[in-house]
Amino acid sequence: MTAKTDKGTVINMGKKEYWELGMDLDGDHRLGAWQIKEVIDLTLPPKKTTKESFVAELPADTKSAEVEVKVTRLAGPKTFELYRFTKKLNFEK
Amino acid sequence: MKYLRLILIVAFLALPVMAFAEFNTIDDLAKAYSDETCKSCHGKIYEEWKSSYHAQSVVHSLGGIKNFIVVGLGKEWNKPVSKEHLMRCMDCHAPQLKDASESLIKEIADLIVKAVDKKDEAAKKELAKLNVNCVICHNTKVSIEKNLRGAPAKDTYYGPSGKASPAHKTEKSNVITSAVFCGQCHGIYTPPDGDTIGCNTLYGSYQDAYRGNGGSETCQDCHMKKENRGHTFPGAYQEAILKEGLSVDANIAGIKLHPGKWIPTAIVNVGLTNKAGHRTPDG
Repeated sequence: MTAKTDKGTVINMGKKEYWELGMDLDGDHRLGAWQIKEVIDLTLPPKKTTKESFVAELPADTKSAEVEVKVTRLAGPKTFELYRFTKKLNFEK
Repeated sequence: MKYLRLILIVAFLALPVMAFAEFNTIDDLAKAYSDETCKSCHGKIYEEWKSSYHAQSVVHSLGGIKNFIVVGLGKEWNKPVSKEHLMRCMDCHAPQLKDASESLIKEIADLIVKAVDKKDEAAKKELAKLNVNCVICHNTKVSIEKNLRGAPAKDTYYGPSGKASPAHKTEKSNVITSAVFCGQCHGIYTPPDGDTIGCNTLYGSYQDAYRGNGGSETCQDCHMKKENRGHTFPGAYQEAILKEGLSVDANIAGIKLHPGKWIPTAIVNVGLTNKAGHRTPDG
């Protein structure tokens, strides 16, 4: 989640990552498949909806902001942008 | 009688060689497991497979396998490369290596290191001859119930229909359409050297979190049957199936918080629904 001014300056950001954390039996994070014996599951479970909320406080003088939500997936060296939502918010009365 | 004795001795000596044939070159091993003849009748399926990551099961994973050889075996275990240990990776990435000689195993390990460290394209080209091809799935790995049904028969191809073919012997297999068939490699796995490995852990999540919550589709339903994906087996590297497996909705609202003074604030609520039959992301 990113909030920007009309000029493109980032005024707030939030991020949530989902992944599986491979661990060895000494409790250390490991990357090698031969080293991993247990997984700390920080992924999205199947058949479930995971909700995330961001409360992004913006500078007091913000008149308007464009808020963008992007969902990307990293797969090896590749990055896929799967979804993008944007909305212009107006704070002037 | 003398001749009979000689024949018996020769036959006895020859038997282990035939039963436990080991190959000393990649070309001989690749030839023994060749799927070249498959494409003359199954051309479309062959082309689908060729575009899949199963066709690149060694060369697409060189970094991880090289790390095991150099760091795992070389530094952590302080052990030489051996067939027993390399099969930790290769029992899934190139199961045909079960029929490789120890010297070929060492040669392949050297090629893997060279292909990664020296970016040696010739080494990579050699290694590309090893993969998970028609023979591996439709014969080598097809029996997950060897004690009940016996090992896969030589020169016989196992498929969902068992339809007779003039080109080869055919057997019907219920295993090949089951999720557990894929789970042999895409799950927590105990390789031949007996030391567990956490390479791909999808299958546990499929069983416990998907089937356990009422899911009934198999790996093949989504990764093969849907959208006529056939033998392309799309997964984490293809955008379309990633989008299919995850739906997202987002609500964005602007408010003014008032904890003593007015603060312009964006409230963002996002719902991510994992529609895949396993956790995501995973391998």
